[in-house]
Amino acid sequence: MKHLTEPELIEQYYGEDDFNAAQHLEWCRECAEAYAALQVDFAEFDSVAPPERTASYEEQVWTRIAPLLPAYPVKKRLTVARGLWLAFGSATACAVLIAAGFYAGRTREHQQPPRTAEVNVPSPPPARVIVLLSDHLDRSERLLVELKHARSDDPQTFPPLREEAGNLLRSNSKWRQEAEKSDDPDMVLVLSNLNDLLSQLANEQGGLNPAAIANLQKKMKANGLLLDVRVLRSRLPNQRTSPANLKGGAA
Amino acid sequence: MGKSDHITIQAILAGDKDAYRELVAQNSRSVFRLAYRITGNEADAEDVVQEAFLRGYRKLDRFESRASFSTWIYRIAVRCAFDRIGGRHMDSPGPVGSNSDAALEASQVVDRLPDPEPLMLSGEIGAIRELAMRTLTPMERVAFTLRHMEDCSLQEIALALDIDPNAAKQAIYRAVHKLPQRLAPLKVKA
Repeated sequence: MKHLTEPELIEQYYGEDDFNAAQHLEWCRECAEAYAALQVDFAEFDSVAPPERTASYEEQVWTRIAPLLPAYPVKKRLTVARGLWLAFGSATACAVLIAAGFYAGRTREHQQPPRTAEVNVPSPPPARVIVLLSDHLDRSERLLVELKHARSDDPQTFPPLREEAGNLLRSNSKWRQEAEKSDDPDMVLVLSNLNDLLSQLANEQGGLNPAAIANLQKKMKANGLLLDVRVLRSRLPNQRTSPANLKGGAA
Repeated sequence: MGKSDHITIQAILAGDKDAYRELVAQNSRSVFRLAYRITGNEADAEDVVQEAFLRGYRKLDRFESRASFSTWIYRIAVRCAFDRIGGRHMDSPGPVGSNSDAALEASQVVDRLPDPEPLMLSGEIGAIRELAMRTLTPMERVAFTLRHMEDCSLQEIALALDIDPNAAKQAIYRAVHKLPQRLAPLKVKA
């Protein structure tokens, strides 16, 4: 009779066995004993409980490593400079191509009889979309900054916040739908969070009061919404291909 | 990966160093647990935590957004712990098939851990277990820890150690083969 090997017993223990090994253990006493012994040995290593860390452990780790972390260079400045060079290079290349095309067309026109042809006009660049979305994020950022600094003892500032939130809520819903269509999960997440906050700000039962403002400030801080909006905003000029998928303006 | 993690990483790469605090806070305890299980002592585990987050930060611009940050830092921590117990200089992962039994047997753990004598005298089950674990090579120790205590799949272990899944499997087999043999006499002595 062929008994199970040690690797086969180990596989059985970790649930990687085939059906035959499990069946074999049911009726082979020798293998069942070997398997039981293996389980006892393994049990010695089951309960390795690391020592508890203090409640402020995360902060301690951060304090230790923070001075050793160099900040990544701010990309925005680099991108602007690089973008200018790229734009200049692209414009030059386009001018050369247009001139060459124009010259070739003129030459060909003289050689061939005129004919009508269907031309596939490429879709226009999404510059308008980018501008509109940027504007929406700018306005949202401004609103969030105002909300962040809103003082509960100054209720006169509440109605303008509410009004602007209502305006932004309409356009935000449309931008979120567009982001969903263009399969941009980051954008969807941030705009969804923004939507929740705007909705509460605009539709708070009985109007905005100091308690509601404090609650919204707390919520905004907890989910880091202002930072998320800023990140999205800074991403736009650098990733023109992403918003390019957004179809049409939504503002 | 968590979408908020992705946004946090973008913020860090855009120059906001403090945003990394959030990722450290979310993962430091689990990294410590893993590091402790591999290294077997608190001091080394703390060093591994620090080294893992520093390495993670330096490599953040190569982070692939398809992965989860916690999985990614976990793998980095495995590598740091592996290096810490002597893996880099001993049986560091090489080409598939290079981990022959003879080669691994020859490369026993460099004992950078504290003196075993106090452990031995303590006679506690944890100490006995730790002494038995020290008889494994770094590769065997890490592979066994990940499989047995961290419940990682062979594929995950192979990825973390940058080895073939079959090599990971063999390392676990060797560890399981050795541990009971080492454990029995230690129990008698204690």
